[in-house]
Amino acid sequence: MSHALATGAASTRRRRIARFSAPYLFVAVPLVYMTVVVFYPAAREVWLSFTNTKLSRPNGGHFVGTDNYARIFGSDLLWTSLLTTVLYVLGVVAGCLVLGTLAALAVDRPFRGRALVRGVLAFGWAVPGVATALAWSWIFNSQTGVLNRITGALGLGTHDWLSNQELALPSVIAATVWQYTPFVMLVVLAALQSVPPEVREASHVDGADALSRFRAVTLPHILPAIRLVALLLVVWSMRLFEIIYLLTGGGPLNRTSTLVVSLELQAFENYDLGGAATYGVVGLVISLAVTVVYFVVERRSTHGV
Amino acid sequence: MKRRTFLRSALATTGVAALAGPLAACGSSGGSTASDGPVTLTIGNSQWLDALRGKNLWNAVVAYQTVNPKVTLAQEAIPSADFANKITTELGAGKGPDVILMQDGLFVTAAASDALVDLGELSGTPGLNVTNNAGMVGNTRYGVAWQRAGYALVYNKKLLERAGVGAPPTTVDALIAAARQVTASTGAIGFATRHLMSDFSGWYMDYQNWNYGYGGSFAANGKLTIASAPNVAALTAYKKVYDAKIIPIGDDMPTMRTRFKEGNVGFILDNSGGTLNMALGGSVASADVGAAPLPFPNPAAAQQILVGVNANSANQDAAKAFVKWLISSAGQAGLRAASGPDTLATDVPLTADFTAQSPWGTTFATVAPKEGSLLVPGFEVKTAAIMRPVMQAVEQVLLKNADPATALTSAQSLAEQVAR
Repeated sequence: MSHALATGAASTRRRRIARFSAPYLFVAVPLVYMTVVVFYPAAREVWLSFTNTKLSRPNGGHFVGTDNYARIFGSDLLWTSLLTTVLYVLGVVAGCLVLGTLAALAVDRPFRGRALVRGVLAFGWAVPGVATALAWSWIFNSQTGVLNRITGALGLGTHDWLSNQELALPSVIAATVWQYTPFVMLVVLAALQSVPPEVREASHVDGADALSRFRAVTLPHILPAIRLVALLLVVWSMRLFEIIYLLTGGGPLNRTSTLVVSLELQAFENYDLGGAATYGVVGLVISLAVTVVYFVVERRSTHGV
Repeated sequence: MKRRTFLRSALATTGVAALAGPLAACGSSGGSTASDGPVTLTIGNSQWLDALRGKNLWNAVVAYQTVNPKVTLAQEAIPSADFANKITTELGAGKGPDVILMQDGLFVTAAASDALVDLGELSGTPGLNVTNNAGMVGNTRYGVAWQRAGYALVYNKKLLERAGVGAPPTTVDALIAAARQVTASTGAIGFATRHLMSDFSGWYMDYQNWNYGYGGSFAANGKLTIASAPNVAALTAYKKVYDAKIIPIGDDMPTMRTRFKEGNVGFILDNSGGTLNMALGGSVASADVGAAPLPFPNPAAAQQILVGVNANSANQDAAKAFVKWLISSAGQAGLRAASGPDTLATDVPLTADFTAQSPWGTTFATVAPKEGSLLVPGFEVKTAAIMRPVMQAVEQVLLKNADPATALTSAQSLAEQVAR
């Protein structure tokens, strides 16, 4: 009897331990992965930013305190890069959200050929960044690009899209928006499926026009998805490198030199890994700040509901 | 119980396997170190990817395998745009190909970082010409010459004929006039030259031609001289050509070279390697390609590629033996046929066949030995970092009509901070 009681108690304790530890075991694997490929490199980057490490001797740097930060923050390039990054991110996020939402609304209702249209609209998302940059470099080509053919035919003249200081950034934004809009479309489309059809019907019966229906019925349901995708776009566009670098190399006149492009310049032109890591840390802090703001806004809106 | 035992065994096995992986990797790093055994040598070069020329160069190099059957040669082909970054990263990580063919900027950086082996024993090789001086860093030889590619004004003879342009221009004003004539008569692009920051590393190298051409230099006697009068004159001339609207604004160099191959460009500022690629396999026959000295008062610049042995290589002796063969008469003869008019480590004359097929080659062979290095003298390792503010100043002048003297003065100030 006492043996049975002891065995039963032990079994209960084991089950309690298993129940308690199960969630931690499940997250252990991704946590190990994240530690190896994200947290450790990020920590190493922060450390590098306090050293004078050179690319040619990646293990030979010495601690120099905040020298890199003083130098980088005292240079015009960082502030120019920050401004360019902000403009680039705003342009990409606004363009993708507006176009992606409109596209999602357009393909939400059934119509003949809807599947084909959805496939075509989603195409950009499947194209690798390098191929996107290559294709758009030809579209923007001043001599033979199709964009100049169109603007010329419309009487708008021809332009140096990538080498004109006023047009280079909008051109790069356009190429990025082309690639990322399909992702927004797909996320918003999924969110649109959560709008109860009876609520839509009711608003229609009540005589609400399309805009009022969108504002009162559709938008509240898709807003959480839009906020999430906006956060992702902010973080992704801050890190985006290949489209900008391949189209303009950060020029002309640093007009498309975002933080990550300036980081590449520091690392692979100046061979200054410490300086490059400083740019990386600035970008990391901004990304974290944006993420914190997102969670605060989400929490407030959840409590508000 | 059985399940617990199984789980323990599985965890133990996984742990042992995880540990064994790195240990096994430690044991198997590097190639064969036995001096008599078979050896595989990897040779890193961006030219392996050049259309047509790459294959010919490789065939010339791989002939070594018949001389030394114990050695197998393997390529590490890296696109030229990525070459410096990739090799620098590999060297920094203690890896990289056994033998590296690299441009002079990367060569100096690698040598300064102790990433290359001392090749002093090769200095006594008979027949080495002055281009091998670039392989010396301080008093130590870290490399020998692979190819030296001079720059010239390359032109399409048939287009010039159709446009009624006589002799190639010898001044910038004459170049502008001739280019406009070509465009007006044939519709082709008048003059192609690099002009974009997206092509920075190629652009600053090509720009050195303008500087040397006007008697300028970016440094002298240990001091930067970016804002000197000859440099201002060079930039003023470059701006004049840019404003003449004869350049295909927005085209990168591969696009301009392709247009030349298609017969759509009158004049192009290019080096002998680029010209060899354009003259082979396009619709413009090599015999219809001409080359003349650049239309500047002084000789221009030359690119140089040097051969070095990786200090991380586990096959240094075999690599040195290969390099020794490369600069021997047998190696040089094979390279001559594949290198067009580029100057080699020894003065192997152009073959009669090549000269007959490509008469433009003699111009490059004549100008290259007189042309200056692309590196900033005294600041070789920091050349790219110094040239960034210089090319940004050039951009200011081209795009914002900044005053050249003011822009270069500002560039000098920025470059001095980087050069410290």
